[in-house]
Amino acid sequence: MMSLLKFYDNLVRIFIAIIVLSTFASCEKVIDINLNKANSKYVIEGNISNFEGDCKVKVTQTINFSDPSVFIGVTNAIVSISEDQKDPVKLIQTSPGVYVSDIIANSSHVYTLLVNVDGQEFTSTSKVPVRASFDSLYIIDFSSFGSNRKFANVVFKDPEGVGNAYKFVQYKNKIENPNLFLLNDLYSDGRSINTFLAFFDNSDNQRLNTGDTVMVEMQGIDPSVYKFFFSLSQASRGSGDNVAPGNPVSNISGGAIGYFNAYVKETKTVIVP
Amino acid sequence: MRPIFLLISFFLFVQTLFAQESFTVSGTIRSESTGESIIGATITSKKTDETVLSNEYGFYSLRLPKGNQTLTISYSGMKTFILQLEVTKNIQKDISLAIESKTLDEIVISAPLVGRTITGTQMGVERLSATDMKFIPQLFGEKDPLKAIQLLPGVKSASEGSSGIYVRGGAADQNLILLDEAVVYNASHLLGFFSTFNSDAVKDITVYKGGMPARYGGRLSSVIDIRMNDGNNQRLSVSGGLGLISSKLNIEGPIQKNKSSFLVSGRSTYVDLFLKLSKDSTVNRNKLGFYDLNAKMNFQLGQKDQLFLSGYFGSDHLNAGKDFGLSWGNSTATLRWNHIYNNRIFSNTSLIYSNYDYNIDINLGANNLNIFSQIRDWNLKQELQWNAGNNHSLNIGFNTIYHTIHPGDVTSSASSNFNDILFQQRYAWENAVFISDTWKASTRFSFTYGFRMSAFSILGPGDFYIIDNAGNITDTIRKKQGEIYKTYFNAEPRLATRFLLNSSTSIKASYARNTQNLHLISNSTTSRPTDRWVASTNNIKPEIADEFSIGFYKNFASRYEFTAETYYKKMKNQIDYRDGADINNPDAVESQLLYGDGRAYGIEFLLKKKAGKLNGWISYTLSKTEKKIIGINENQWYNARQDRTHEIAIVTAYQLPKNWTISANWIFHTGEAVSFPEGKYIINGQVYYYYTKRNGYRFPDYHRLDLGATKAFKARGRYTSELAFSLYNAYGRENAYTINFRDNKDDPSKTEAVQTALFKFIPSISYNFKF
Repeated sequence: MMSLLKFYDNLVRIFIAIIVLSTFASCEKVIDINLNKANSKYVIEGNISNFEGDCKVKVTQTINFSDPSVFIGVTNAIVSISEDQKDPVKLIQTSPGVYVSDIIANSSHVYTLLVNVDGQEFTSTSKVPVRASFDSLYIIDFSSFGSNRKFANVVFKDPEGVGNAYKFVQYKNKIENPNLFLLNDLYSDGRSINTFLAFFDNSDNQRLNTGDTVMVEMQGIDPSVYKFFFSLSQASRGSGDNVAPGNPVSNISGGAIGYFNAYVKETKTVIVP
Repeated sequence: MRPIFLLISFFLFVQTLFAQESFTVSGTIRSESTGESIIGATITSKKTDETVLSNEYGFYSLRLPKGNQTLTISYSGMKTFILQLEVTKNIQKDISLAIESKTLDEIVISAPLVGRTITGTQMGVERLSATDMKFIPQLFGEKDPLKAIQLLPGVKSASEGSSGIYVRGGAADQNLILLDEAVVYNASHLLGFFSTFNSDAVKDITVYKGGMPARYGGRLSSVIDIRMNDGNNQRLSVSGGLGLISSKLNIEGPIQKNKSSFLVSGRSTYVDLFLKLSKDSTVNRNKLGFYDLNAKMNFQLGQKDQLFLSGYFGSDHLNAGKDFGLSWGNSTATLRWNHIYNNRIFSNTSLIYSNYDYNIDINLGANNLNIFSQIRDWNLKQELQWNAGNNHSLNIGFNTIYHTIHPGDVTSSASSNFNDILFQQRYAWENAVFISDTWKASTRFSFTYGFRMSAFSILGPGDFYIIDNAGNITDTIRKKQGEIYKTYFNAEPRLATRFLLNSSTSIKASYARNTQNLHLISNSTTSRPTDRWVASTNNIKPEIADEFSIGFYKNFASRYEFTAETYYKKMKNQIDYRDGADINNPDAVESQLLYGDGRAYGIEFLLKKKAGKLNGWISYTLSKTEKKIIGINENQWYNARQDRTHEIAIVTAYQLPKNWTISANWIFHTGEAVSFPEGKYIINGQVYYYYTKRNGYRFPDYHRLDLGATKAFKARGRYTSELAFSLYNAYGRENAYTINFRDNKDDPSKTEAVQTALFKFIPSISYNFKF
């Protein structure tokens, strides 16, 4: 239930910030900070699931903080994925920095990603967990900050044994919500888990309104992938208030930032009442 | 205990050898007008040139040779008292000091920092009394003792307007903050903008920045020992103050004149009245505020015994409409018994209770959630002060504390969608014995040597985790109720020496080891009431600090004082967070932590003018604080958050005609160390920031000027009153409170840094009265 605790913590943090900043005449201004230029690092996002079409690896690089946020794909990578000890399958570049294949991942198998760029080698392994049953998806009402909000609520059964981790991806009218919804079973091993997908959003873009179509994809993921996304959500988004901002814990060796996620997925759809 | 016993027998033996030559003069020093005992009054013998200080209960004890003797008893703001004595036997002599009457050309406005004496062995100590703080202009006009302390060298404010304190490179949780001996776990109100100490109820504040006496222990970097007033035992007295955002009232008086007294002091804010002025409904529905109450009673039971019962209760609340409520507060209670065994042995026994808790209510439609967290102590402390004669005075005692920590239970209403989350309570038993001796070896040399033996036992019931290098739990050890899982023993030597160059100049050196077994876990750079205390475990080892310091002390031109102190502090088992740590899970918070070394060194200068129409001080600190932890910053030394290279404070007050006093402070310090990103990258269409060095950057330099003016009105009978004005941040410097990064609104491909500043030109007015 880590994400729920984090949600509570965020609630407290946001309420305190609102009250402090509104009470004590505060002023905000954009300042210039002379930041050093960091050496560029490779960034790898690798995915493979039990559905055809999900096997896709993106390779990009970090850029300087002051540069415009334009990320160009790395086109000279050699990318392959292998199942267990079998021969690797080479992925084909379909657009700059995007490498794909039509292979799928199966539960309980271990997949190995190999990326080679200019002689630098990055590897990662990820084990597809056993599929948990995604029992239901519905919408709940939730009032806070004086307004009523709707959230997607999921119910699923966690398999026995600590170490299961989940990532949910929410789409509103086919548009993906960029918030990370993560769960693990540290406090709910083997139980039926009933929780809503909580997120904070200052804009109205992601708010659910009556009539919206909500699709939720439940991914069973490797704990190392959970750790990557959790640390990414925790520290990398640059709040000056965070005590230890840092880089996410990648599950890729060789010095790249990123993850390789071999997962099992199931989706459900609901219309917001 | 055997070495202590041997030591005592030795001194008893030595004492009998010299006993016939001298006698003891002892007693209690009090204020004539209020009957309050006076802490830290100096008692000097003219003939032997020996000086002793009255202790925390006003008690003093001095050995004098047979014959006619003259004693000079002085304390800042009081008339010096000269006592002529014919010493032919042991003498018990209580002394009452009168308040100093003002002469036209020599008005002592304030005499800050009276505790620094040239002659004592103690170094790194600062003393403030309530009158010392009187003219220092402060935020919202509040006379906050903890913020006054921040103007001293080596003591830094944790953040803008905050009562959080960093001492000599120590973290905010490394200060032992005591109110009448009870630990105050969260010394802040209103998210840190006020401290929990009501200056009306405070008699004396002593800050030990280093070289702590053996009787204190449990925190690495400082001891802030705050003593409450006992209550006027001469007559009923009422005082109070009306301020812009808070008011207070203090009532004290005798229960039985000269024998017993009481004190009740309360304070409350109405800061949320300002929120109501806002038209924004998300703002004007909010509430915040605090109140606190200090109460004390004391009873003199014959010549030799005195009982004190004191308590503190404070509470803060923060509400956003009906959706969210956060309340937190400390409560403490202390029962003390002073007993004078004979004119040389003073004993104090204290039974102490401390509690800090917070409670969060979140009301989200059908989902009502409650989060509760608490730390609670029961503490028994026994201390003997023994003027053993032959230039030895001893301090012996023990301390035993039972800690209960409730990390934070999440419970919800029956109709809720959430499951309750109950975390393990933690129990610990902390014990210490201590002994120290101050030996005046010659007129020039004086030594204090002693040690503190501490033992911290982690008690069951509970699960303890074995954690690997990557932070994964590999095994769980289960302990039953009453079982001791582990005990950490630490011997803490405390040494100090003084060498007197001449009657106004001395050099001192000291070494002290301190250990700490309670650690504050916070996931924010700004202090929050929800920061959590955790006890040492199998993974979190006791923090240990060894501090060496050398100082130079000089008094000149009768009213100036100059001090320079330098220190080097080596710290072990320091805690920091893993990159991207998640500390929301209190059960295994250790999996998110890393441990390593720390070091802090610096030099502090203080020049102070103690008397005259213009008085005040200038302090300057040059310092460095670093940590080295495997797994952070590529295992290299990095700046601790509280590292600030330069720190300057100028504090002045000037007496004008017609009872006006004007005052000003100017503060400057290097911005604190912080981690900023140097690059960025994209994951799933979202831009994230890439960090290279931990705390490799700094906030902009901080500086600020505060102004104050106070008009004292003519007394009408017993009724005295004054009007105080202050202006905080008088030239409107925008000092960074936080710096965040975000995408530019107009051009999302650009990322910009945004600084939030809190206080600019904050005026205040308050009216204070007393009768």
